[in-house]
Amino acid sequence: MPRRVGIALPDTAFERALVILSRYREASIAVVALVLAIYFQVGSNGAFLSSQELSVVLRDTGRFGLIAVAEVMLMITGEIDLSVGSTFSLAPYVMVLMSIGWGVPLALSAVAGILLGVLIGLVNGIITVRFRVPSLITTVGTFFLLQGVVVSIYNSQPIVAPVQEPFNEIFGENLYSPTDSLWSWHGLTAFTPFLWTLLVVLAMALVLNRTTFGLHTIATGSNIVGAREIGVRTDRIKVYNFMIAGAFAAAAGVINTTQFASADPLAGGPFLTLQAIAAAVIGGTSLLGGSGTAIGSLLGAFVVATLNNGLVMMGAQATVSDIYLGTAIVLAMILNVQVDRMRARRRV
Amino acid sequence: MSQKDIPVLKPDTPVILEMNRISKTFGAVTALVDVSIKLHQGEVLALVGDNGAGKSTLIKILSGFHHPDSGTIVYQGKEVHFRSPRDARAQGIETVYQDLALINDLSIYHNMFIGREYHKRVLGLKLLDNRKMRDLAQTYLNSLGIQIPSVNSTVDLLSGGQRQSVAVARSIYSSPTVLVLDEPLAALGVREGAHVLGLIQNLRRQRSVSIILIVHNYNQVFEVCDRINFLHSGEIALDASTSDTSEEQLIRIVKSGLGRQAIAAAAAEVEASTGSTSTNRL
Repeated sequence: MPRRVGIALPDTAFERALVILSRYREASIAVVALVLAIYFQVGSNGAFLSSQELSVVLRDTGRFGLIAVAEVMLMITGEIDLSVGSTFSLAPYVMVLMSIGWGVPLALSAVAGILLGVLIGLVNGIITVRFRVPSLITTVGTFFLLQGVVVSIYNSQPIVAPVQEPFNEIFGENLYSPTDSLWSWHGLTAFTPFLWTLLVVLAMALVLNRTTFGLHTIATGSNIVGAREIGVRTDRIKVYNFMIAGAFAAAAGVINTTQFASADPLAGGPFLTLQAIAAAVIGGTSLLGGSGTAIGSLLGAFVVATLNNGLVMMGAQATVSDIYLGTAIVLAMILNVQVDRMRARRRV
Repeated sequence: MSQKDIPVLKPDTPVILEMNRISKTFGAVTALVDVSIKLHQGEVLALVGDNGAGKSTLIKILSGFHHPDSGTIVYQGKEVHFRSPRDARAQGIETVYQDLALINDLSIYHNMFIGREYHKRVLGLKLLDNRKMRDLAQTYLNSLGIQIPSVNSTVDLLSGGQRQSVAVARSIYSSPTVLVLDEPLAALGVREGAHVLGLIQNLRRQRSVSIILIVHNYNQVFEVCDRINFLHSGEIALDASTSDTSEEQLIRIVKSGLGRQAIAAAAAEVEASTGSTSTNRL
C-alpha cells in the first residue's frame, strides 16, 4: 500500500492488540480475572469455586479494592499514597482503644478512626502541594511515622476488639455458610466488607465519570498547568483525593478489625500498600496521570487476591504467589504505559 | 478583509480596564517594571514585543495566574485583585493562553465547559449534564464555522488549528467583557489563521468585547487592531494608534529596538515625520 499523509493505523499484531485492550480496559482485565478463576478451579479439582475459599478471596478483594480505588483517584491526579498501609493499622487501633478505654460505642469510635484517616490525608496533601515534596516521598515519610506511632502504643501487641451488634454484622459478617449454594447471594458476596467495597467502587466510578470533581481530577493529572490556567483548583483537587485515600484506608482497616475482632498494629504495613497499588495498576491505571478506571481497581483487587490465595490453595508455598504477582504487575504496567503512549501518538 | 464596516472608536470611549504601574519579578529575573496599559470599551489592543519582553507575564497577571509585586488593576471602574484564574473568569475576563490550556484526556465538549459545567439533579445528586454540554458545544462550534470531527473525540486527536479554534471558541462562548489572546495565530496555517482572524474581526465589528491581542505578525496587527503597545524589556516603549502609524513605521521602531534610546529616537523620528499624535512614553 502506498504511504499516505496522516495518522498511521496500527499495523503490527501487538499494536492491534493494544488498541483492543485500551478500548475495553475493564473488559480485558475481567477476562484475565475469569481465566485465573477457571485455572484455579480446574487446578484445585473444583475447590476454588465450591469451598469457602472464594469467600476468603472476596474478603481480600474487598480489602485491597477499597484502598485501590482511592489510589486510582490519586494516580489520575499524578500522585500516589504509600502511607495507606499504616493508616490501615492506626485507624482501627485508635477505634478500639477509644472503645475500650473510654467506653465510646464502636460505631462512633469507627467514625473517629475514619476522620483520623481524613486528617492523615489532609497532612499528606498539604505537604505535597504546599511544600512541593513529591508525594512518593511525603507518604513514605508519613508511612514510617504512623507505623512507628501505632507499634509504640502497646509495644506491637494486638488488642482484642469489642463485638457490638449490629455494627459487627453490618461491617464484618461472613454471610456464607457451608450449606449455602455458591450461586446464592451469600455465596457470591460472602463477607459484608466485599459489599461495602463494591458499593464504594461503583460510587467512585460515578464520581470520576459524571461529576465536576471527577472531571477536574482528570484535568489535574492530564495537564496541570492548563487546568490551573482555565481555573481548576488543582491543589485542592489533589488534597481532596489524598483525604479520600486516607478515609478509605482507615475504613478498610476498621472493617478488617471488625471482621477479626482484633486490632493488629502490623495488619497493614508496606505489603498491603503495595498490594493495593498492584491492584490499581493491574486494573488498568498507569502512574502517568490523566486516566484510570475505578471499576478496574476492583477487578485488579480480585486478581491480586486470587493469586495470593489460589496458589496457596493448590499447595504452593505462599512465597511462590509473589513471583506471579510480580510478573503480573510488570506486564500490566508495560501494557498501561504502551496504551498511553499509543494514545499520545494518536493511534488509538 | 474589509476595514470599511468596522465602526471607528470615538475618542471619548470609556476605559474598561487599566493596569497601572505593574511590576513583577521571578526570583532574580525582573519580568515587568512599572508597566501601565489602558483598554477602552470595544477596543482591540495589540501587545507586541520581542520574546521575553514580558507580554505573557503581563496578561497572566491580568488573568489571575500570576500576582503582581506592585501596581493595581482597575476594571470597570473598580480596583480588583484576582486571586486565581477562576476569579478573573467569573468577572468576565477570558484568556486564551499560548499553550491553549486544553486537557488532552478530555473530550472537546468537556474542554469547552470545564470550569463552568452544566449539571442536572439525578436522585438528588449533582451530576454533569453531558448531553446538554455536548449539544451546546456542537451547535456553538458549528455556528462559528469551526470544523471538528465530533465533539465527543478527545482534543489530542485535533490538528493544531482545530485546537486553537476550540480554545478561542471556549473563551468567547461566555460573552466575556475582556478577551485576552496570547498569540492566537502562532500555530496556524494561512487558511486557519485567516479564520481565527475573522472571528476576532467579527467581535471587533460588534464592539461588545474589549480585546488584548498578543501578536508577532505586524501585518495582522494592522488588520484587526485599533491601537498598539510595544513592550520592550519589561516596559511599554510605544503606545500608538494604528490609524496614526503605518506598518512600515512600526516595523522600523521595533527593528531599531535593542535599547531604550534607539526606540525613543526611532519613535521620535516617526512622530516628527508624520506629525501624528502617537504618544511615546519614554
